[in-house]
Amino acid sequence: MSKKKGNSADLAPSRHEKKGFGQIVLGFFLLLYTLFCGLPIVLVFIAAFTDEKTITKNGFSFFPEKWSMAGFNAVLKYGKQLATSYGITIFITVFGTFLGLLVMAMFAYSISRKEFRLSKFLSVYLLIPMLFNGGQLSGYIVFTSYYHLKDSLWLLILPLCVSTMNVIILRTYIVNSIPSELMEAAKIDGAGEYRTFFQITLPLLKPSMAAVGFMMATAYWNDWQNALLYITTDSKKPLQLLLVNIQKSIEFLLNNSNVPAAARAAMGGNIPQYSATMATVVVVIAPIMVVYPFFQKYFVKGLTVGSVKG
Amino acid sequence: MKGFLENTWKHRAHVVMALPAFLILFFIMYVPMAGLVMAFKSFDYTKGIWASPWNGLDNFKYLLASKTTFVNMTKNTLIYYVIFTALGTFLNVVLAIAIDQFMFKKMAKTMQTIMIIPVFISYAAVQFIVYAFISTDTGILNHALGLSTRFYSTPSMWPAILTIVKMWNSVGYGSVLYMSVLAGIDTALYEAAEIDGANKWQKIKHITIPALVPMITVMLLLSVGNVMRSDTGLFYQVTRNSGVLYSTTQVIDSYVLNAIFKNSNFGFTAATSFFQSVVGLLMMLFANGMVRKIAPENALF
Repeated sequence: MSKKKGNSADLAPSRHEKKGFGQIVLGFFLLLYTLFCGLPIVLVFIAAFTDEKTITKNGFSFFPEKWSMAGFNAVLKYGKQLATSYGITIFITVFGTFLGLLVMAMFAYSISRKEFRLSKFLSVYLLIPMLFNGGQLSGYIVFTSYYHLKDSLWLLILPLCVSTMNVIILRTYIVNSIPSELMEAAKIDGAGEYRTFFQITLPLLKPSMAAVGFMMATAYWNDWQNALLYITTDSKKPLQLLLVNIQKSIEFLLNNSNVPAAARAAMGGNIPQYSATMATVVVVIAPIMVVYPFFQKYFVKGLTVGSVKG
Repeated sequence: MKGFLENTWKHRAHVVMALPAFLILFFIMYVPMAGLVMAFKSFDYTKGIWASPWNGLDNFKYLLASKTTFVNMTKNTLIYYVIFTALGTFLNVVLAIAIDQFMFKKMAKTMQTIMIIPVFISYAAVQFIVYAFISTDTGILNHALGLSTRFYSTPSMWPAILTIVKMWNSVGYGSVLYMSVLAGIDTALYEAAEIDGANKWQKIKHITIPALVPMITVMLLLSVGNVMRSDTGLFYQVTRNSGVLYSTTQVIDSYVLNAIFKNSNFGFTAATSFFQSVVGLLMMLFANGMVRKIAPENALF
């Protein structure tokens, strides 16, 4: 990149100036697109701190008339449920990601060994679910009426645990970036298969696992669908389900115009309104936004290493 | 065969290491495949999938007879796939080239970080952001324009709304892959072109874009396999699953999700799922075949 900069400096002044203007225009459009991506998220944070009456009167705004902490106070009133949901989401994200990384790395390692003849069959076995799958309905019926896992946290963990694409990314990394001489040397030195994997391969696989792990963690953190399908007990509800349920209660309030005004006003104190809803959104999305910049370099690199190569 | 068994026994450690993922795939992915036989049965919850009586192709006849629902959701699924893929690919490439051409690299990096963030926000949260912009009474758009458009009950507006939301969500992230290709272009090519008197546009047209073509082709072909699948959250959450909007917003995946919640119409839904899976398989085989012809090193199998 710096090389290109050097070239532009060598050019005649007039052309250089022209280039400078082009850069400004380009920068302007990039900035516009950045704002398009970023401002909606900023709005969530602003709305979470906006006074409720200001929203009902003036609508959502980037420059609210009056600020307020009421939204966050209302969120804290969920208190126990919010803490429980946070705990569930963190548990699922951490446990699921580590479990998935471990079993996928082991599988990827096994099918990457050329001397292991069963690996051909296992590769095909891995690929088939990507081509063909049973769909949501039969999954739902199998999981609930045959495995009897309705309302079990396993259904939040296992369906996102092993994915063909992630195994392929890990395998590609093992094949292309970890010299098999290292593994052979370890074996000559007397290390068994397991020790070779855990002490040689796994540590070297870290960059790729960081990329895959971050993608998995966000998938776990953001999963609302399995929670909505399977989880019914309050004590097992993850954060995303809390979000979905808030929407339901607002809709209930809005759609039931035949509820007497007095009764609605009485309920008003308990039902989360605009600012409280936005405060909940903040609580749910903030952790990812804090963690993401630290992982960006890994996933940009890790994704480009192996994504489409088989 | 004996050699094969011996080899497997010798490498039993690999078998043990592959086993956990093997079992998870088996119970989560493979068993539900067998559940697709439901499409040929008159499903009864109390009897389960296997004991329910067969009813031949009745479910599929029902499917074809119900023009409005089935045809409509299939049509929506396909239309959104085409819009999202065409526009998405175009914007991914434009953004990748723009960031690559921008010389203030630190600033470009920060911008890119912000552009990627939306992909990490769940649609359960995104729907509230969309609501803040387009709700009738409190939405920013209506207040700014002094209107009272009822977005949530006007189906004709949703193709545009969903496309904007989808692009907001995915373009920043999608461009990363193309940027990695651009980073790999030999700078000597640009230098040679400059010596030959090429200007910026000519360089983009004759060096940058041709370098991206293989990746574009591969990504397009691979996406063909998912033609029947949609971003369920986009169509279920962002539209608030509003029945008024179904004519332009219901896709196969969101229909199936609704059917599960309503606990109804399992025969019809099973037939739809079967259709979705089989078309997906055929398209995937077709796409892979094409990739193998054009760029064999990128084929999946």
